[in-house]
Amino acid sequence: MTVNKWIYGLDELGQEHLELVGRKCANLGEMTKLGMRVPPGFAISVDGFETYMRETGLGARIEAYFSAQGEDFKKNIQKQMDASRAVKAMMAETPLPNIIGDAIESNYEALCTKYGDRELPVAVRSSGAVSMPGQMETYLHVRGPSEVARRVVEVWQSTFNTRAIAFRLEKGMPVDKAPIGVAVIRMVNAKSAGVVLTVAPTTGDTDHVVIEGNWGLGESVVSGEITPDNFIVNKASLTIERKVSRKAKWVISTGNGTAKADVPLDLQEAPCLEDHEIHELVRIALNVEKHFGVPQDMEWVVDRDLPFPESVIWVQARPAKFTAKRKEADADYIVDQMARLFRH
Amino acid sequence: MSNVTVVQPVKATVTVPGLEFDEKADLEQSPAWFLDGTHSVPPWTPLFGWFWINFCRHGMQYGAEKLSLPTVKGWDWRFKNGGGYLTVLLVKSEAEQRQREVRFREAIRPFVEDYDSLWRSQLDEVLGLYEDLKTLDLDKASNIDLLDNFERTINVCRRMWEVHMYMMYGTFTAYILFENMCRNLLSIDDTHPLFHTLITGFDNKVLQVDKRIWEFSRKASQMGLADVILASDGKDIASRLDASPNGRAFMEEFRAFLNEDGWRMQRMSEMNLPTWIEDPTPPLVNLKQFLLKGGGFNLEQERAKLTREREVAERDVLGKITPDQKGWFTTLLRLAQKSGVFSEEHDHYLDLYTHALMRRSALGIGRRLAAAGTIASAEDIFFVVPEEIRKVTINPDQFDLKPVVVERRAEWEAWCRTPNPPVILRDGFDMDQAMAMLVKSNDPIALKVVVGSMPVVRPELKADLHGTCGSPGVAEGLARVIVSEDQLAEVQPGEILVAATTSPSWTPLFSFIKGVVVDRGASLSHAAIVGREYGIPVLMNVFVGTQQIKTGQRIRLDANLGALFILDK
Repeated sequence: MTVNKWIYGLDELGQEHLELVGRKCANLGEMTKLGMRVPPGFAISVDGFETYMRETGLGARIEAYFSAQGEDFKKNIQKQMDASRAVKAMMAETPLPNIIGDAIESNYEALCTKYGDRELPVAVRSSGAVSMPGQMETYLHVRGPSEVARRVVEVWQSTFNTRAIAFRLEKGMPVDKAPIGVAVIRMVNAKSAGVVLTVAPTTGDTDHVVIEGNWGLGESVVSGEITPDNFIVNKASLTIERKVSRKAKWVISTGNGTAKADVPLDLQEAPCLEDHEIHELVRIALNVEKHFGVPQDMEWVVDRDLPFPESVIWVQARPAKFTAKRKEADADYIVDQMARLFRH
Repeated sequence: MSNVTVVQPVKATVTVPGLEFDEKADLEQSPAWFLDGTHSVPPWTPLFGWFWINFCRHGMQYGAEKLSLPTVKGWDWRFKNGGGYLTVLLVKSEAEQRQREVRFREAIRPFVEDYDSLWRSQLDEVLGLYEDLKTLDLDKASNIDLLDNFERTINVCRRMWEVHMYMMYGTFTAYILFENMCRNLLSIDDTHPLFHTLITGFDNKVLQVDKRIWEFSRKASQMGLADVILASDGKDIASRLDASPNGRAFMEEFRAFLNEDGWRMQRMSEMNLPTWIEDPTPPLVNLKQFLLKGGGFNLEQERAKLTREREVAERDVLGKITPDQKGWFTTLLRLAQKSGVFSEEHDHYLDLYTHALMRRSALGIGRRLAAAGTIASAEDIFFVVPEEIRKVTINPDQFDLKPVVVERRAEWEAWCRTPNPPVILRDGFDMDQAMAMLVKSNDPIALKVVVGSMPVVRPELKADLHGTCGSPGVAEGLARVIVSEDQLAEVQPGEILVAATTSPSWTPLFSFIKGVVVDRGASLSHAAIVGREYGIPVLMNVFVGTQQIKTGQRIRLDANLGALFILDK
């Protein structure tokens, strides 16, 4: 029996592999290509899920289960909930075939060896090839080979969450399967984290880069619960304008998750980034912006354990979202001017 | 004595009941009625005029209402001696204008936010309607089904015009705003070469069809058919090709292409000439002209160049405006660029296609009526109007329309001999006032297709004629004056085309002529758009070009200066 390749290093991937490994993994691969450091790890392709379904015989059973559903399945939410439970139970009861489990575990162990930690904490994240609500399971701080394999299966199970089933039915997609990849990446030990925007969100100014950050994990910045440090960097002269805030709360890693906590007093009023870190963030952000030709909204983390510049790690890059808002304002303006055309 | 009822026309001149031009009543309604010279010269056959007057009129009022244009409620149309006469329906009070503006702001928004999906969804709907019409086998259908197909064709035509004018009003509104912004920010208008550079270098369906014909010319060469085609005089190309196995194989493929893209007639706004599917002579003549010219399909090379130039111009222009203007300016620029594509594609998918289907359905009935002796030949159907078709189609053997046809045909021939006046004005109302009325309407279509810009006369140039720049450049060569579509085959490579106006069935010519001079046109007219894409100069609004220039005269046109010189007078 031969099994095709279904595990990839992130450095083997790029934007063109969206359908192979899903968006998250393809993005991480593409970011690697663009010279951004991303958390090291590997990707389990959509084929991996399909191999699992085939090897276990689950694929055929699940297909049979869904094709036995009546006409009203599409509209009956109760039946969809029952289906979700039934299919997940089938998956939970089915042992992971060795050929699959071994492949996941050996790749994880290789990562452990590289960082000298036999139980290296990793994040196990879903990576859908199409955006699908309800199947975005992410498991943080997963440790140990068997635990990693278990979480991968749980990500696969999430494709049968009720919302995901309902979504596929509504969109006329096959309901018995979903193209999903999984990313297994090393947890970053965050000293500080935040976002970079290569365009000012409120004014649309594209001459400056805006950085916001806080101590600890990025959640506190993204959620908008605290007032983060704000650094505005001129793209041409690289001069930095600082607004350092008093940061009373941060989000930190606990053994099996994250928690909000008080920032130690001596750190509260200190800037969460040093100048050389700021310049490194700006350098990479401008490269990425140039590559895509549109302003970027990116998430960064500075790792506590790694030396600079390896410590500057990226977890996300996407076109700046504010443009939607900006677009609306532009449309308002255009409509207004169009109305004026008809005034004498 | 036969017991067939002879249908005597009460008054043969009634072609479009309710919408015949009535001098007294209509001049009371509006002081100025303009002849649609672009579409109704030469005069329409009665059946085509019936369709156009009813539904172009309906579509414009539908479009203006759907968008709630603040100052205009579309156009009114009348039929007179085969000509279409139009006037604008002004919104009468300022209070009503303000009310309409509130709704306009909502209605125009989809054009700004997601133009492509809007156009796509409208187009898909109409294309779906076409497919429905085509499913009926006209020669096997019952009389009832034939009549039903015709009624549905009427409804498809009506819907086509709704989509047509809704899209056109919205699209041109964006285009005019962009031009205004260019005037304010960059001090250029839409006759300026930089403006043309900004909106040029885009593919469209009409140009794709041209390219397919060019590809067929290559294929014909490879199959050893070039000599046969070059030795044919035009009309016999198809029959000479069909005479050899090789040629038959070629024609089979060519006809398959026409079954997809040949739903058009040589004249855009008429239905009395065969479609490309019925008679492939016009595209075969284009193909022959490609063979004569030789070389590559210059549109592709030209487009790569135009696209590069456009990108440089875009960067240049965006560099001149402030960052906070960039967002909306870019959106408007993209919309203006889509206007050209829309202008061409809508002709192909809407007007030409629908008219071809009208012809198909009408001829289906025509053949049936001719077989029953109701009319003398199938083509006589173009001299019958729908009210009469409804009257006779289920039981054609009971009626005789031949006298009606004879009378109508005689009238039509008289219309063709006597040109319709370009404008009909109320006493005491002059042309300047009439133009001012159009301008006051702010009607986007009137401004960009009918009125255009007036040429600036510059005595120091000592030019023989003046015009406006539709596509920049300078060309010198022999003039070829074309007054009707059946002369298109006469155009030779390297000549300068002189015409009243042009339509999409003329586009293949643009690949081998040096320049174009048209009597009427604005920046979104067919000749201007296609001339820009082919990179040849186009001079518009020359008004008397077809009268003053003679075929064979050497002329020089300088579109940049808006001047035309006749070199051998």
